[in-house]
Amino acid sequence: MTRDLHEQARELIACGELTDAQHTWLQAHLRNCDPCGAYAQAADQVVRSLHSVPLAADRSLVRATQLRVRARAEELQRRQERLWLVWMSCALVGLSAALTTVLLWRGFEWVGESVQVSNLVWQVGFAVFWITPALTAGVLLVARGTHFMESDSKPQG
Amino acid sequence: MNSAACYFVNGMESETSVIARGLRRRDPDLLDRLIEQYQHRLLRYLIHLTGNRELAEDIFQETWIRVLERGAQYDAKYEFSTWLFSIARNLTIDHQRRKKPASLEGLLDEEENVSLDPADTRPSAFEVAVQHQQAEQITAALSGIPAEYREAVVLRFQEGLALDEIARITSAPLGTVKSRLYRGLGALMPHLKGVQG
Repeated sequence: MTRDLHEQARELIACGELTDAQHTWLQAHLRNCDPCGAYAQAADQVVRSLHSVPLAADRSLVRATQLRVRARAEELQRRQERLWLVWMSCALVGLSAALTTVLLWRGFEWVGESVQVSNLVWQVGFAVFWITPALTAGVLLVARGTHFMESDSKPQG
Repeated sequence: MNSAACYFVNGMESETSVIARGLRRRDPDLLDRLIEQYQHRLLRYLIHLTGNRELAEDIFQETWIRVLERGAQYDAKYEFSTWLFSIARNLTIDHQRRKKPASLEGLLDEEENVSLDPADTRPSAFEVAVQHQQAEQITAALSGIPAEYREAVVLRFQEGLALDEIARITSAPLGTVKSRLYRGLGALMPHLKGVQG
């Protein structure tokens, strides 16, 4: 018998998951090879020893993990709801802007003609009126974001 | 495929599909159940991976948070345990990277005191002492072999995972996994002679 065959047999013993053919071959090999038989017994002993290690998780660890996971799940849920609200608001604002822009334009045009100002004046007026809410919201959000960043960078007491 | 095997495969598919659906919904009850179900296996794996119970417990919690956050990525084609152990392994590697920029495979060789809590089966004081001594002997033997071998041995013989599952978790080819098992078992044999299973 060559050394390779012994190694092959021991690898099969160590790894398991044998096909029928491998199983038959290994059984035949073990019947005729005492060193590999001893290896199989030693391997079996190691595996049984490993199974006997009684490492267990504490009840308190499991409970603490479950509570942490639940808290995080709620946080993610709230975040998702906020995000959904932001998207809905954006969609509504976009829709209302699309619907009202034409009306607003006509309104400014009518006012411009009524008070007899040049086209440029009422058009600038329209642009300022149209862009002011978004500009104000943007400035407020940036200011709020800067405030948060400053709070985060402060050392925790 | 015979009917029993067919039933088994279908049963497994439906189980993993249920888990996948629940994880996509971030169902807290499902997560509670999974934490209960996999508590000992995951912690045991992490203790052997890190060599430190305290760190293992921290990563245990982080693993479940990650399962919650990335639940949508779980593929029901595979066993849940395979995905769970992969997450735990990656978190351990991340942790060690943050600690010190070292090679990935060498990360697990820092052995610290592993506290062993015998399972609560109420044996006698003498049995507890013997059990504890044996557990320490086995843990010491495991910590004495290279980390890659130890990981393969633990996943195969303690957690009972299939070879291809171990290959997936460790991102190693099947041949490498087999070689690690063979060498790992060989390295353990001299240390565990006489330890009763």
